[in-house]
Amino acid sequence: MLPIDAAAHASAWRRRHPADKAVLSFGLLGCAVALPPWPGAVLVAVTVLTIALGFAEVPARRLWRAARAPLGFAVTGALTLLVSIRADGVGWAPDGPRHAGELVARSGAAGLAMLLFAFTTPLSDVLPRLTRVGVPAAVVDVAAVMYRMLFLLYDTTARINQAQAGRLGHRTRRARWRSVAGLGSAVFVHAFARARRLEEGLAGRGYDGRLRVLVDEVPVSRGFVARSVFLVAAVVVATLLLESVMP
Amino acid sequence: MHIAEGYLPWEHAAAWGVASAPFVVHGARALTREVRDRPENTLLLGASGAFSFVLSALKIPSVTGSCSHPTGTGLGAVLFRPPIMAVLGTITLLFQALLLAHGGLTTLGANVFSMAIVGPWAGYGAYRLTRSLLDRRGGTMPLDVAVFAGAFVADLSTYCVTSVQLALAFPDPDSGFPGALAKFGGIFSLTQIPLAISEGLLTVLVVRLLRQSSRGDLIRLGVLTDARPVREEEKSK
Repeated sequence: MLPIDAAAHASAWRRRHPADKAVLSFGLLGCAVALPPWPGAVLVAVTVLTIALGFAEVPARRLWRAARAPLGFAVTGALTLLVSIRADGVGWAPDGPRHAGELVARSGAAGLAMLLFAFTTPLSDVLPRLTRVGVPAAVVDVAAVMYRMLFLLYDTTARINQAQAGRLGHRTRRARWRSVAGLGSAVFVHAFARARRLEEGLAGRGYDGRLRVLVDEVPVSRGFVARSVFLVAAVVVATLLLESVMP
Repeated sequence: MHIAEGYLPWEHAAAWGVASAPFVVHGARALTREVRDRPENTLLLGASGAFSFVLSALKIPSVTGSCSHPTGTGLGAVLFRPPIMAVLGTITLLFQALLLAHGGLTTLGANVFSMAIVGPWAGYGAYRLTRSLLDRRGGTMPLDVAVFAGAFVADLSTYCVTSVQLALAFPDPDSGFPGALAKFGGIFSLTQIPLAISEGLLTVLVVRLLRQSSRGDLIRLGVLTDARPVREEEKSK
């Protein structure tokens, strides 16, 4: 399994309705993107980390591992804001460090808010409920097959990769090219062969075009949603108050 | 390369979401029709989407010596057509955001526009154009060249659009949008032209192998026709 999905399945909030966690996480995500980065992004980041590590019991090491790559992208991308292109050449951008800092803060806080949802809500809980928010059933079914199949294909990829390495398939650049191409085509063949076997199996069970799965009937917690809305509103108010009093 | 979560200002994130929506809705309708007419294709489409996801996670040796990941949009567009790729690409990007923390939910619209719409359409256009120009020559060369052109253009156009998206969001304080485009485009062109060549070569190798191992699937997907001449080694089998 992928680390984020594995953590989501083992999360302390696993049994909560996805809508509960969506209100909280996406509310904070909205705050991170829409509020002034200073102090908004900092407040959002502190709030998310407190909730994730203190209440949702998200493993800190896994959270850091998931967050560091997008944070690295944000930092690298923000470096371009430090320089400016003028008619006489390249120079330092006025206010560049401030803009770069704000960008990293906003992106980091937003990334953490999204990870709060990802680390507490398995996709298998979200997908069957998407039809209730207007996503066509056919699209949801295709997404559900994708979700279930990609773990098998990842496993297949890892095994083929290991076998290729064992046959010195990664030894030279030429061999590596051949191995990657073979891997890509083998994954395609595996994916289609498995889809056909699934199709035959389902046909024998009276497949009528819908993939019905059992969904745990977990009620939406009005208390949790109310507390989430209150917390998001508190972050908004605190940001605006702090912004007005800070120099 | 995905634009990270929260990287774009909210106005830009919303605007790219609105720009992507018609293509994704059109693709969703095409996919719904396909599944209604042939319910068994749900599984094949799911397999195609999972293949696209895994393909984008493969590490390819870059011409510059480092490793990188293919976008997979060119091969996806050649195999499954751009409207279907708009939906499969959107689902893939959503999964990448939630399962791998690559990209994000607020930047989903921008990433969909570059990777699931412009990339596949530009790549498919280059593929069709090259095939129509070279097809009369016969043999396997036209397909190889067309597949290379499709994957190369899809990869490069994806990154050109990403550069435009970033330049619009972060215009240069002195030279505005053109200066920012030169900055982002300059950085991407250094890394992406070699990567686009790598992805083009990899895609040609993958399609060559598929022509041997999955000819039936390629015929069913419309990449090959029964009448197309087969390779010499296939004739001798």
